[in-house]
Amino acid sequence: MDEAGRLRRRAADDRRGPRFVRTVDLVITAWLRQRSDVLWFTVLPTTAALAIVAGVVGLVDWKFIRTVDFSTLWIYRFALLEGLGFTLLLTGLSVLMGLVAGTALAAGLQAPIGPLKWLISGYIEIFRNTPLVLQLFWIHFAVPGFTGVSTTPFQTGLIAMTLQSSAYLADVARAGIQAISKGQWDAADALGLTTRTKWFDIVLPQALKIMIPPLANIAVGYFKASTVLALLSVGELMTVAARVAQHSFRPIETFTVVGLIYLVMSAVFSGLTYRLERAYGPQGKAG
Amino acid sequence: MVFDGAAFTDAFPLLVEGLWMTVLLVLASLGIGAAIGLVACIGQLLGRGALNRLSRAYVSLFRGLPETVLIFWIYFCGPFVFDIRLSAFASGTIALSLVGGSYLSEIFRAGVLAVPRGEIEAGRALGLTFPVVAMDLVIPRAFRIMLPAFLGFMTILIKNSGITSAIGVTEMFYQGQIIAGDNFKHFEVFTAVGVLYFLIIFPLSMASSGLERRLASADR
Repeated sequence: MDEAGRLRRRAADDRRGPRFVRTVDLVITAWLRQRSDVLWFTVLPTTAALAIVAGVVGLVDWKFIRTVDFSTLWIYRFALLEGLGFTLLLTGLSVLMGLVAGTALAAGLQAPIGPLKWLISGYIEIFRNTPLVLQLFWIHFAVPGFTGVSTTPFQTGLIAMTLQSSAYLADVARAGIQAISKGQWDAADALGLTTRTKWFDIVLPQALKIMIPPLANIAVGYFKASTVLALLSVGELMTVAARVAQHSFRPIETFTVVGLIYLVMSAVFSGLTYRLERAYGPQGKAG
Repeated sequence: MVFDGAAFTDAFPLLVEGLWMTVLLVLASLGIGAAIGLVACIGQLLGRGALNRLSRAYVSLFRGLPETVLIFWIYFCGPFVFDIRLSAFASGTIALSLVGGSYLSEIFRAGVLAVPRGEIEAGRALGLTFPVVAMDLVIPRAFRIMLPAFLGFMTILIKNSGITSAIGVTEMFYQGQIIAGDNFKHFEVFTAVGVLYFLIIFPLSMASSGLERRLASADR
């Protein structure tokens, strides 16, 4: 270092005060900052966690433990299994049919026909922005009034979930179709391919691959949302749970076990979704 | 079948009465859920310690649990498990808050993580203490980033509030069921309920997607 620089630095140092004072100042500042970090990152969070646990433990009336008996639920195992089967069936069917209908709606949105676009957009917005419970009751109680055909609760549940999922999946499909590069469309047109070939052999196969991760997310969402159908006693797992709880007078055991079933199943499905995303998501798109 | 316009319009006064209950339910669970979500979000961001483990357990538990199950659990099992006897409204609020807290925690966390890491490091390097970094650097930016997701969550919450009619919370959907069961004008009444829900939810989701678009174009 040159002499001028050293002199300049010493002058600056002298202006700030003697070396000793500066060192003490630095040490105190560091200590204060470290103490602040310990306070905010260790002491307060741990205290909060302990307070929360203590609060919850204190709220529970632990005498209930002695009355809990999960073995009584064993009699209802087939009913619960059947309910789970119906839940899976409803979820699978409604998402699959919703996918087909949603893709058709998204394709309709691409057509240069104004009224058709408005109609489809209206349908999508109405089904996306009203609750599933309401759609369920509307289809079950209101629609038969003007069609004259009444549906069983199971059919109603299937229709309601399909209609709503088709609205959500139409959005997903639209994003998928719009992600196909313009070059693909132009190439198809340049080759003189028919509209049918263009859609089924070029656009949709590629769009579907993009749609897989959001589709899987929606499927997991509908697995959980199907519990709403219990309000109409559709016969899926939650309906069965409510009946079993009433019949056995054991709500704690029933709802806990059923909650665990939903929890485990949705964790499994989420895990699968995550793997699908890894395989087809942005990172895996190289293939 | 003809559309009975009188039944349609007559339903509105009673439905609006239920609507206030829905609004109250949604706002209460949004407030409590946001408070829970904030604590859980901080716990998740800490990365270690007791609060971190508690928050992670909480979020994974309540994100996987359907609202209906939780509403039924709290309403039917609550009196046995806890010392308090809760009203239907309180049960519904607690259930929606607990589920909402886990979702909001994830929304808050995503917002905080979207704040550029360099800004936080710059603040730390300047010797700012944690509260200053959090209040002046992270929260204002995180708030803007998570606003669309927050509004989107609000629409979900409003839609889910109808489920509480199952345990007898007298919100809008419950009122609709009562009126329709009374005059058998299901079509008119449920359509009126749908119109009201749509009028609340649609502007919110429009605002959510509009803000999201603006945020996306601001980033570019």
